[in-house]
Amino acid sequence: MDPHLPWFVLLNPLLTAALIHLALRRAPAAATGLSVLSAVLGLITAIGIWFSGTPSAPIEISWIQLASLRIPIGLLVDPLSKVMLLVVTGVGALVHIYSTVYMAKDESKGRFFGNLSLFMFSMLGIVLANNFAMMFIFWELVGVSSYLLIGHWFTRDSAAAAANKAFLTNRIGDFGFMLGILLLWSASGTVVFPELAAKIGSLNLSAGFLTAAVLLVFCGAVGKSAQLPLHVWLPDAMEGPTPVSALIHAATMVAAGVYMLARISFLITLSPAAQSVIAWIGILTAVFAALLATQQDDIKRILAYSTLSQLGYMVSAIGLAAPGAAMFHLFTHAFFKALLFLGAGAIIHALHHEQNIWKMGGLAKSMRLTFLTFALGYLALIGCPGLSGFFSKDLILLAAWQQSKPVFALGLFTALLTAFYMTRLFVVVFLGQPRSAAAEHGHDGPVAMTAPLTLLALLSVVAGWPFIGHTLMGHDLAEGLHKIHAGGGAETVMSLATAAFFVGGAIALALYSKAKRDPLRIAPLQNKFYIDEIYAAFISATQDLLASVSNWIDRWILDGMLVRGLSGATWGTGFLLRFLQFGNLQAYAFLFGLGVVVLIYLMALR
Amino acid sequence: MPAPLAPLTLEIVVLLLGIVLLGFESFSKGGDRGWMARWSVAILSVVFAWSFFTTGDTGVDPSHAFYCADPLALFFKRIALLTTIIVMVISLEFRPVLEKFIPGIQPGSGTGEFFALPVFTCAGLMFMASAVDFLLIFVALELVTISFYVLVAYMRRQNASLEAGVKYLILGALSTGFLVYGITWIFGLTGETNLARITQVLPSLLAEGGRLHGSESALLFALMLLLIALGFKVAAAPLQFWVPDVYQGAPTPVTAFLSVGSKAAGFIVLARVLQTVVFLPSIAPKVLSVLGLLAVLTLLYGNLAALPQDNLKRMLAYSSIGHAGYLLVAFASIDPAAGNLYRTQTAIGFYLFGYLLMTLLSFLVMTVVSRHSRGDDIVHFNGLSKRSPFLAFGMLIAMLSLAGIPFTAGFYGKLLVFSTAIARQNFLLVSVGIITVAAGFYFYLKVVSAMYWKEPTEDQPVTASGLTKFTVAALCTAIFYFGIFPQSLLSMLPSDKAAPVAVSPAPHK
Repeated sequence: MDPHLPWFVLLNPLLTAALIHLALRRAPAAATGLSVLSAVLGLITAIGIWFSGTPSAPIEISWIQLASLRIPIGLLVDPLSKVMLLVVTGVGALVHIYSTVYMAKDESKGRFFGNLSLFMFSMLGIVLANNFAMMFIFWELVGVSSYLLIGHWFTRDSAAAAANKAFLTNRIGDFGFMLGILLLWSASGTVVFPELAAKIGSLNLSAGFLTAAVLLVFCGAVGKSAQLPLHVWLPDAMEGPTPVSALIHAATMVAAGVYMLARISFLITLSPAAQSVIAWIGILTAVFAALLATQQDDIKRILAYSTLSQLGYMVSAIGLAAPGAAMFHLFTHAFFKALLFLGAGAIIHALHHEQNIWKMGGLAKSMRLTFLTFALGYLALIGCPGLSGFFSKDLILLAAWQQSKPVFALGLFTALLTAFYMTRLFVVVFLGQPRSAAAEHGHDGPVAMTAPLTLLALLSVVAGWPFIGHTLMGHDLAEGLHKIHAGGGAETVMSLATAAFFVGGAIALALYSKAKRDPLRIAPLQNKFYIDEIYAAFISATQDLLASVSNWIDRWILDGMLVRGLSGATWGTGFLLRFLQFGNLQAYAFLFGLGVVVLIYLMALR
Repeated sequence: MPAPLAPLTLEIVVLLLGIVLLGFESFSKGGDRGWMARWSVAILSVVFAWSFFTTGDTGVDPSHAFYCADPLALFFKRIALLTTIIVMVISLEFRPVLEKFIPGIQPGSGTGEFFALPVFTCAGLMFMASAVDFLLIFVALELVTISFYVLVAYMRRQNASLEAGVKYLILGALSTGFLVYGITWIFGLTGETNLARITQVLPSLLAEGGRLHGSESALLFALMLLLIALGFKVAAAPLQFWVPDVYQGAPTPVTAFLSVGSKAAGFIVLARVLQTVVFLPSIAPKVLSVLGLLAVLTLLYGNLAALPQDNLKRMLAYSSIGHAGYLLVAFASIDPAAGNLYRTQTAIGFYLFGYLLMTLLSFLVMTVVSRHSRGDDIVHFNGLSKRSPFLAFGMLIAMLSLAGIPFTAGFYGKLLVFSTAIARQNFLLVSVGIITVAAGFYFYLKVVSAMYWKEPTEDQPVTASGLTKFTVAALCTAIFYFGIFPQSLLSMLPSDKAAPVAVSPAPHK
């Protein structure tokens, strides 16, 4: 393979972002065109890379070379990164095209597309990085560019606050990530993935050390992939423009955590303790988020909680030593979740930024194409047999069935909940009668909006079919998938998952097809909602308590004693030292002589 | 053999340039002398480019040479050339101020020497980089110092400049006295002035039955005298008292030259002198512990005393003391068992190069701004971002790099210095270093906050010449380039992989 191809994929969005930010901010049309062109070129190159073989020599240039630390700027092109490249550039290109319509009337379109290209650069950097240090740098860059995109409408307080929240929450996880990288480096002396993989087995590290290192690195994934307890930023991040939500908060950035875990799965398998922690955090996030999703009214928030829940599945699969299944689900999920977000965006766009599902209804008739594509995405997500989500989710559940029945039970329950809340969303939004003036004027968007929807709908259907999915995943990952399949229990799990799909869907249909006729009938459901509010209040109370405790520590111990005390003492010393400098030549000569005497005494006479 | 002498042609060209410039000043009528600086910049740039085509190794038997041109010497010659070029650019911006304080028949006359003398200083610095004999060291050092005496006191109608000149002259003469005295002691003890020869004879003199056996004190005393003289040049505490007053009083371009050129040359001579003794087991521990003490004192003094300053020029003077402290950390962390000084040489080479970029950048911007604001207090920088976003950005980069923010050359230099200390497990030095870096953030970022968050006191824009703007842009780019790709610079410096050249004695285990 020509080593220039991956370099081009990585650097072309950077060049685009630089051009836009430096020269084209005031020329929105040119900025839009350039950004879309670069995204499409990226996709074409990624396809080219996928078809060409793996490079024989590592693609890297030397960057930092200290005695015990070698950090190259290197690109790793293997089956794993090839699949991820397809996902990122594919969804990225479609979102770029879609955005030309969605952001058409935005005042700062140039800034938006510049930041979108910057995000693509950062995300592709994570995908292609061949070492931890470089991945960490791009990891932070993704944080920065998502901050810029979530806060695109920064004049709205809620958007600015959400951007802050996302960035800060991520930083907490990243701190652990950094410590984990340092631990691994101190033990192995390398940060380059292939070298680490070759070395780590022969190091005889203690189980405790490995568990600590893996869990610290996992912290980074907890932040980026919004797992418990750092999941709080993702629902708020829906303040950003909807295409951003589709790209960042469904297909790419949040998937980066899972991707990173898959990249280091050779490490994770070394520590069974860390594996079970990861599996449990993942599945608990899945259940927790699915529960919350059943009570949301904002269409984007429902999808956000659903994303959390699906990411929980993937993380759990990593913990179950099935990185292939995790990547498979990541792959299919990227398409149908991006489709759902873009579909929701089409609705929001048509309804003049109305996001409350109870003010929609009856959109099936007025938004025909959006309805059809959304329906396919919806069915894929809830695991309708034959669609992509069914196959990938089934594999994760199967891996859980084979290794841990409690995890499997929770996973199955999540599948049921997923069918329930998505059917609720679907029924309320598309069926029945319009429940607001805006909903009566629903209409499909122009081609630049519907074409990405159609393409994504097609992918949502076929991406999971074994002969397509497994080919795309490459030999190694597909091997892992076959192994899970052959591990036994396939029929049981498949029938249970199908049952969950039907039961969850049926309950929601029974409840909400009535609710649409008479919205008051949802009153009993509101009680359930209260329980969650109490739960939320409990969380916020502990947060308040923690906040006031840490505020006290910060104000009195850190700021009062350490910061003020230290800076006061330093400044005071400096102030005193200044008096030594009295400008008198004789005194200087005397002090010089004194210094000489002291030094000679110390050196020669002592 | 003409080829080995090729590096020497660099100095010869620089000296000829100085003589020609001085001749013009003497035999032509008065008038604007700006062209002298511009021609110097052009010719020195050519010499700088030429230095990359000269052969690096000596080929001469090191035991008989006064002069060596190993990679380290070439590297420091480039530092000297680059410093002089940028100082000339600063001088051009400084001309209006200079003319105000020089009595002359017509405006601009009498400023010629101000542009000719730095060229001689440059030649002296380049000789110092190559000097491997105490005689050449002394002569080169005096060439540099005497030019500086004149330059510091150049603004004859300004009391501060004259006062600074007198202080520098008297204290400088004092330190020269120590240097000569130290050299005579060394000569008396060993009978040699050549560093390589001294390295060869010392082990046998100190060994059982040798003439110096049991009386290491005499050698230590001589070394101490040398250390004091060199410590004075590089402004190490407690020999730094002259620095704040002289730096503040001297014309700004001269201050910039003093704080970079003079320091760099002092450090390379220190490295060469230390190389003769640091591998002797009976001498090394004491020398290193005194160097460590100097490093700690210098770090604390430079960085802490900079905190309360509100004059930028004076603050930069203290900051230059502080940076000398970091460089001394690298010296105090020499590994006597390593058999060579490569680690330390690489660290100080990189550090000084980065220091050159960021210090000269800040002096350049300061000269332009203080000409417009008529003062160089930090308040004169208030709101600079509104008066000249470009210069404010340049100053921002300089301050960030001086403070040691990652991805700047300043950060990587500090990293190299601290890594030498960590390798020797000198945790005291590392912790003092880190505390003083934190203090550094305070006073460097004070300038940044003045530029970006304070309202300007006057509102007419600050303008600079095209050459100045180009230099600012080039320096900013270089600070980032070498901060992100340090390898390109490190490959010019000695490393363990390179074959040892010039004076490198056999290790004594």
